[in-house]
Formats: sequence, C-alpha cells, structure tokens
Amino acid sequence: MEIEELKQCFLNLDFDERRFEVKQDAMLEFAAACGESAPRYTDAAHPEFQAPPTFCARFHGRRMLPSDFPEIGIPLDAGKCVMPQRPVRAGAKLVGKSHLHDVYEKTGRTGRMIFLVSRMELYDESRTLVSIVDSRLVIRERPAE
Amino acid sequence: MTVQRFEDVEFGAELPAFAPDTSLANVRRFARAAEMMAGRFIDHEQARKEGLPGALVPGVMSQGILAAMIHRWAPGAEIVKIDTVFRAPVLVDAPHTVSGVVTDLDAESRSAEIDLTITNAAGETRVLGTARVRLP
Amino acid sequence: MILDLHSHSVRSDDGRAQVENYCQWVRKRALPIDGFVLTEHRQFDFESDYAALAREHGLTILKASEVETDYGHVLVFGVTPALLSAFDFASIRLPLVQVLEEAERHGAVAVPCHPGRTRVGMCAHVVERGPVAGVRIVEVYNGGSRGSEDDEARALAERFGYHGTGGSDAHIVSHIGRCATRFPAAVRSEAELAEALRAGEFEAVSWKSKS
Repeated sequence: MEIEELKQCFLNLDFDERRFEVKQDAMLEFAAACGESAPRYTDAAHPEFQAPPTFCARFHGRRMLPSDFPEIGIPLDAGKCVMPQRPVRAGAKLVGKSHLHDVYEKTGRTGRMIFLVSRMELYDESRTLVSIVDSRLVIRERPAE
Repeated sequence: MTVQRFEDVEFGAELPAFAPDTSLANVRRFARAAEMMAGRFIDHEQARKEGLPGALVPGVMSQGILAAMIHRWAPGAEIVKIDTVFRAPVLVDAPHTVSGVVTDLDAESRSAEIDLTITNAAGETRVLGTARVRLP
Repeated sequence: MILDLHSHSVRSDDGRAQVENYCQWVRKRALPIDGFVLTEHRQFDFESDYAALAREHGLTILKASEVETDYGHVLVFGVTPALLSAFDFASIRLPLVQVLEEAERHGAVAVPCHPGRTRVGMCAHVVERGPVAGVRIVEVYNGGSRGSEDDEARALAERFGYHGTGGSDAHIVSHIGRCATRFPAAVRSEAELAEALRAGEFEAVSWKSKS
C-alpha cells in the first residue's frame, strides 16, 4: 500500500481504547531503574508523590496500529514525545485513546523505512487529560534477497 | 551543580552528565516495571535471534533516563514536553553517556529548552531530543 | 565567509531545532560561522521567511533541501519553484541522474551528502554500480558521521576529483556549526550559494570535537 493510501484510510481515526491502573510499585521501580533522584518520584511517602513524567509512555493499547492496517513488517520504536498535562498519582485509573497521527517514509542506513506516529491521549476518571504520548514507530523494509 | 530556580539557569549551561545503568539486571528491572518483557530487551540471545546485535534498552527507558538527568540538575523542574528520537540502538551492558545543554530561556514562562543526547563509547549519538521544562 | 551547509529544523520530520534557537546558539557561543543553510528532508520550505531573524542576529540563513536517491541522500542548493516541479522532492526513489540533470537545468547544484554512510551515502553505491556522471561536489565533513564515514567521503572525493563541502547535519540546536564550508567571498542568497558552489572555490572545515 502506498503512503498516501495509508493516510487516506487510517489517519486521525480512533482505533483503540484501553484502561490502565497506575500502581505504586511500578512507579517506584520505573523511577529507580531510570536513575530518578527527585523525592516526589522516589519516595511514596512524599506529599507530592507521583509517577515520573515519562511514565505514561509505557502504556500501550491492545493494538499498536488499527486492526485492518496492512501487515508490512514489525514496527520498532523510533521515538517518543510525551507532553504531561497533570501529575499522575498512585492508584489513578486512566483511559488511553489511540489514533494514527502521521505516516511517512524515508531511507536510512538500513534502507527504506515507513514511519507511523500513533498518539495516545490519557484521561483520568474525571475525564481530565493527564498526558499525551506520541509513539513514532518505524517499519524497515526487508532488503530483496 | 544543581539549580533551584529559573534565575539560576544560564544559556548554554551543560547539565551534569552521568552514566546510566544499562546493565541487563537494571534493564530487566525496568522491563518488569513497565511490563515490557519482550525478549529483545531482557535477553541477549533472544535479541540476536531477532537480528539485533544484543539486547536493547527500551526507548521508553532511554527517555526516562533523560528525564532523570533533568531532575538531577533541577530537582524542582517540571517537564512540559520531552521529545526523543531513537536514531540507533542503545545496547544493554554497553557504556553510554547522557548529556544535556540549555539552548533557550524564556523568562515569561520561566522555562528552558534543553538539548538531550545519549551517546555510546564511540561518541556516536544513539538518542537525541529536546525537553521544555518549567522552573520555580 | 563560513556557512554550515547542512542543517534541519522542526520542519524536518526528525528535526527538533527552532531556527531562532540556532541563531541564538551561534551568537551566544560565538561559533565561527557566518550562517547556515536549512536542508529540510524531502521538501523545500518556501513558506518560512527567515529574513528578519537573519537581520536580528547578523547571520546568513538560506534554504535548501535534502532529497533521497538511488545513490543515497543529496543536498540540493538553489531550489526554485520550477525545479520543485521537475521531480518529486518527497520521493525516496529518485534517480540520482535525474536530480543532477534537473538541478543543472534549473541553475541549482546537487551535492551527495554523507557519502560514507551505509546505504544513504554514495560510496557503497559507487562500489556496486560505478560513479555517476555529473557529480562534481560531495559532502566530505558531516557532523553526524560515525567512525570512518568522513574518511571514506574524502577518499571518494579524492579518487574522482570532487570538491568537498562541510555541514553539521544538525537536528538539534547544540549540533549546529560542527562542520561547515568556507567561501572566499560573501554569499547572501540561495542563487549566490549555487553560483559559489559551481565556481568550486571553497573548502570544507570541521570543528567536531570543539562545538
């Protein structure tokens, strides 16, 4: 499928919705493994204890791409953009809604690559937006044998 | 040197660089926390079977490490946006350096723009990006 | 006059630098360049006007493109609306021959960039398929090159008698000016840049360890 065709068929359509629960242990382990030092991320007893700002980038929907997206290869992580909107607290119950935000192609050291930007908007129980995460996925074209 | 307030930040200031823990044990710790237990992250042999040179540090972890660098430099900083491009694999059990430099200051919003990089031992950029942070 | 001939702004898909921030960085860090050229991926940005920024910071800011061909990536200097219609800048399958011919026809200059880089550089393709007539200049210093990529680029240039340019290939602000090109006279416009490149009197410079 050509890039323009992919755009016409799939851009800006919600393709997934999933619920997540933010667990204290996961927040602490995430922070520790990343080398966080600020007490509001490392100390559960801190009055402002919250998940590190990039924590929400770990959430992914049941699908990385729309269900009828053509199988053109295995997508790898090419980048992440996180825009935290509000602190995420332990025990928070979030809803993540995903849509395909952009599709483009380019060549790199490993050949032709197709880039897909999937955006997840995460809302808390009061339907307040808490984070926006753009995941840039790359599918590398296999060289001809 | 840490900064506490916007007024402490200078244009061109380099954030204290540090060597992140990219050991297999720590990456596994992260993978468990993030529920990212794919073989390519937690097992060198599994990664090689997928055609990779070895186990990879997940992109989400690389980004988390960059955020941690910002907080080490400015404990009160609020990250408004952090945008990272994963240009090449960050390999598990290989030494890397995380660095940042202030490239813009906005007094009105009390925010700073920071260039972020993760480089390997050969000085090759594996991850680059930017962050906008608000300071007290 | 020294210009960084290869840089990207947020207009490129993987660029993360605002042009104003490039200007501030060049001036506040006193980098030894007089300006830079924005070579956005697979497009020419007619929309943006950097004249005011250029005046404010006393820099030369020019625009060009980086396109993708069957011999790797190529910088195109002196892009005009007519050239933009001559081939699809967004295509990743452009024949290098076509890019060179159309550039020449429209008074522009096409410069294969980072030739030593795997797949997206010219060297490997030359080994497989031989050189392409019409190439006169290649980029010999690239700020993003790894290992021996620049050495391979210089070896290619020497072997075929190509002139060599330098550019940072910056995608973030702090990487601007790592490599550049020194011209004997002032270059103030895209047309003058194309003319200066055609004249062949320039020299690639690199400060990679110093930026």
